[in-house]
Parts: sequence; structure tokens; C-alpha cells
Amino acid sequence: MSARRPRSSRGLIAQYGSMESTRKAIESLRGAGFEELEVYSPIPAPELEEAMGIHSSPVRLWALVGGITGCALGFLLPAGASLAYPMVTQGKPIVAIPVFIVIMFELTVLLTGIFSLFSMLVHARKPKLSLPSTYRREFSVDRWGIFVATGTDLRSEAERVVSTTGPVSVEVTS
Amino acid sequence: MATLAREVESTYPTLADANEDISRPILVPAWRYAFVLSLAIGGVLLGAAAWIYQIVVGIGVAGINHPVGWGIYITLFVFWVGIAHSGTLISAILYLFRSGWRTTINRAAEAMTIFAVMTAGLFPLIHLGRVWYFYWLMPYPSQRMIWPDFRSPLVLDVFAVGTYFTISLIFWYTGLIPDLASLRDKFRGWRSRLYGMLSLGWTGSVREWMHYRRAYLYMAAIATPLVLSVHSVVSWDFALSIVPGWHSTIFAPYFVAGAIFSGVAMVITLMVGLRYAFGLEAYVTEHHFENMAKLLLLTSLIVGYAYAVEYFLAYYSADPIEQESFLWRARGEYRGPFWIMVFCNVVVPATLWFRKIRRGIPALFAISVFVNIGMFYERFVIISGSLAHEYLPSGWGLYTPSAVEIAIMIGSFSWFYMWFLIFAKTLPTLSIAEVKEHLEHERSHGHAAGAER
Repeated sequence: MSARRPRSSRGLIAQYGSMESTRKAIESLRGAGFEELEVYSPIPAPELEEAMGIHSSPVRLWALVGGITGCALGFLLPAGASLAYPMVTQGKPIVAIPVFIVIMFELTVLLTGIFSLFSMLVHARKPKLSLPSTYRREFSVDRWGIFVATGTDLRSEAERVVSTTGPVSVEVTS
Repeated sequence: MATLAREVESTYPTLADANEDISRPILVPAWRYAFVLSLAIGGVLLGAAAWIYQIVVGIGVAGINHPVGWGIYITLFVFWVGIAHSGTLISAILYLFRSGWRTTINRAAEAMTIFAVMTAGLFPLIHLGRVWYFYWLMPYPSQRMIWPDFRSPLVLDVFAVGTYFTISLIFWYTGLIPDLASLRDKFRGWRSRLYGMLSLGWTGSVREWMHYRRAYLYMAAIATPLVLSVHSVVSWDFALSIVPGWHSTIFAPYFVAGAIFSGVAMVITLMVGLRYAFGLEAYVTEHHFENMAKLLLLTSLIVGYAYAVEYFLAYYSADPIEQESFLWRARGEYRGPFWIMVFCNVVVPATLWFRKIRRGIPALFAISVFVNIGMFYERFVIISGSLAHEYLPSGWGLYTPSAVEIAIMIGSFSWFYMWFLIFAKTLPTLSIAEVKEHLEHERSHGHAAGAER
């Protein structure tokens, strides 16, 4: 089981002052059955990924796809171009694989990088012109934030759980 | 970073301090900055005017001619590509090795990489007699179905440098995204909108970080072999020919070591200035400079060793032309540049064996300038020096740079510094997110932290 993306912006926003208290808060909330969470962190947060139960990023697969595409292209482009305009230079064969390895390597690197960047943007749902209503400016400075999406029926229960985790501030969004 | 914590224990920065300190100089006008920037822009205009003159009148206004067809332009191309290297070394290789000390210098070093490649990339064009035909280097299905010769190292170079620029740029930009979001939240009004657009709507949600960390790791992983490959490919522009002094199997590692050597020197030169100008003493400490000085010392030893091996190979080859070529290098008309190169790259950096000098910022700054000069002369000695003294005595000749070439050289340095100055005033010169990550790590664990993300 892993935490889900919130479907509405109604719920609670709790702010925390450290990674550790945020991690504990996520665990308490998930333990109490609140799975629709968005967690904001000013720094990379592998611990929080684990607490939210989200692990593998598909970016790795795209990087591999990019690398293989680049490698293949790096062979096909010079080989095709050399066959289309066959002129012997340097006493080498028309399809001179040892030299083409340089192009294969460069295009492997190029497309791995480009695929990593774009797959990151697509999976992180970027670019976006506006910020989500549950985001606060402090989250890029020194505060961690947890947004719990709840309906009015479970709100008091969510507030009770959050209050046990030592937040710096809590606000209700509607 | 443990050292950082010890040294600034009394004024240990908080996460909010890091945001504030690093972004303080951004978009704040200062007359000294405007003065230096206008100097740089003036230099760029001078170089541009010289290039326009060369395009209008013809390549004959440059000093390059038979037998030295590769002069200062190609020297500067190799020099600037070399400068670029340490940026990627610091940002990618030290990232993979979890070297915590890279955190505070990687952003500036990466920016330096991009601007150095932008400078280097101009020179193959400036060197072309008819620059408007530069697109012939690109493989595209032309009307006449003529394709570039993929066996030529010059075409490999186009791919190597092009890939290097693109990857450096996206690696740098990826690192910038969270910091741009910090700036968006710091400012109000048009600045906030500008940085907001550049940050692509980054919120720092854990889901975003998860994809981000993966992408950054893969970019670092592929940039690492790329650094080593780029200058190797550049060195093959020379080594694949039969010119004595060029045709050597040690060229790839020799050039890569030299590239990292000159690049680290340039990082030191720039970081000393940046630290002083923006008051970043709490973040860029003597410890960081000492580590860079050690890298400088190591690469100086490799470069010095390569100089010696070149002579040994010439002796051991029993080839009189090879031997003559190297003896002439040290005794002939170009002995001045040769001995400047040895002095600046081998003798001066040897003082770094002393810890006091490694930690003394003014001394280190002076050494880094010496190394930059020495590396420029090294490229010159190898490139023009070898061409001036090839096989037949009747084909020997000397090369002196013309005023146009000198003006373009001044222009290239100004162009590089202009971009760096613009960067220093518009973007965070230290990686805010990474510095905060370390501060948080120190706060929660209280011991030396690796560069974990």
C-alpha cells in the first residue's frame, strides 16, 4: 500500500520543522487510515518516500530506453550516411565500427540525459503554470508540509491525529 | 561538511539562513558589479568587432598560414573545453563518490562549465574562413546527398562537444529547479513570476523529489564517462594525424588530466572572487579550497609526468624526426612558451605540498592564475609548436598571432566572464537545496554527512 495523490484540496495542512517529525506524522496518519496525502519538503527526502510507501520511479526505465535508442541511432546514423555516400577515407572500411563507437557513446549519453529530464518532468506533472492551493511559501525555505485530504466527516479525527504529532501549525482548507 | 560545522559552530546557519544568504546578492544593484560587467561587455564588443572585420576582409587577417594553420583560435578552443571539465568533475563524479565538500562549489563550477563550452564552441566557427558554411559539419540529408565523413575526428568532435554542452546544460538546469522555486517564494511581483516560470511550478512534493532524485542520479552517472570522453575526442583531433608531437597514444589521458587541472584552477579563481564579493565565507570554507588544491596538485603531477613521458617516448622511439621535434620544443624559437608552461604547470603547483599554502586563499588564487596561464601555453606549444616544425626543414615556419587574433582572445575571456557575472547576479551561486540538505543532515545526525540525496 502506498499513499495516494489527494483528489480534492479540502482538508488540513500541517507544517513541521524537521524531517524526522514529518516522517512520524506521515506514519501516524497512514496508521489511522488517511492515505490521501501530499507531502512537501524543502530538501530531497528519501525517508519520506519510504514513509509514504512510494518507491520506484519510472524515470529509470525511460533513461534506459533513451540510452538504447541513442546507442542504436549512434550506429545507424554514421553507418547509413557512410553507405549513402561511400567514399574511402583513412583506409578504413565504409562501415568502420571502431570509429562509430564514439558516436554511439555520445548519442547514448545525450539521449539518456534528455529522456531522464523529460520523463522526470512528465512523471512529476511539470511544467505547471499555477501552484496547488495546498502549497505554502515556507515549504521551499525550512518547513515541511503535510496536506491531508479529508471530507468534513473525518476532519475532527484527522485533526486529532495531527495534533499528536507536534506540528508547528495546522490550518483547515475548504 | 563536518569541518564546515566545526569552523562555523558559533554562527551555524539554519535552513532559513541558507536561503537568505545565498539569494541575497540576486538582482540587487551594485555599482562595482556594474563596472566590472561593463568592462566585460566592452571586451566582448572588441572581440565581436575583430571577428566581423575578419569575416568581411577574410581569414588572411589572422596570423595563421602555412605551415601553422592552427593557431590561437584552436589553442583557445582546446583551452576552453579544458576549463569546462572540472565543472562536470565536481558536479557529477564527486556526486557519485558522495564527496560532501562539492555541495557549495558545484553550482558555480557547473555554470563555469556551460559558459566555457559556450566560449569554446565559438572557436571552430571563428577559425572557419567562411563561417556561413559551418552547418556542413552537421549530418543532415542535403540536396546533393553529401554526408560528413564520420571517420574524421573533427566530426566526432562536433558530437562530443555538442553532447557535452547539452548534457551540462540540462544537468545544471535540473539542479536549479528547486532553487528557482525558492527564489519564486522569496520574491514578490515580476521577479516571483519570472522565477516561477523557470521553476516549472516546482513545489517540492515528495513525489516530485522521488523522480527528481532518480533523474539527477542518472544524469550524474552518464556525465561521468562523458567528461572523460570529451577531451579524449578533442585530443584525437591531433593524435589521429601523423604530425610529430601530436601522433601519440598518451594524448587522451594527457589531455583529460590537463583539462581537469586547468578547470580546477579556474574554479579556484572564480570561487575566491565570488566568496569575497558575496560574503559566502560560512559556506565556502578553507576546507573546500584545500580539497580543490589537492586536486590541483594531483593533476599537476599527472601533467608533469605526461611532459616527461613525451620526452622519454621521443627518445625511446629512436625516430630522429620525433626526437628533433621534441628537442626543438625546448630549445627552438618556441622555448619561451615551453618553459613558461613547465614553470606554471609543474614548478608553481609543487608549492601545494605545503598545507599552509593549500589553505592560504591569496596564495591559492595566485597559483590558480599561474596554472591558467601555463595551460594556455601548453595548448599553444602542443598545437602550433608541433605544426611549426614538421618533417621537412623546407616546410618549417613560425607563427605570430595578429592583432585580430589577440582582440578575439580578449573577447573570449570577456565573453566567459560576462556570462559568469550575469549568472552570479541572477541565479543562486550555491545550490540552496543541497546546502540545506547538508545542514539538516548535520542537525539530525551531528556527524559527517555524505552527499546523499
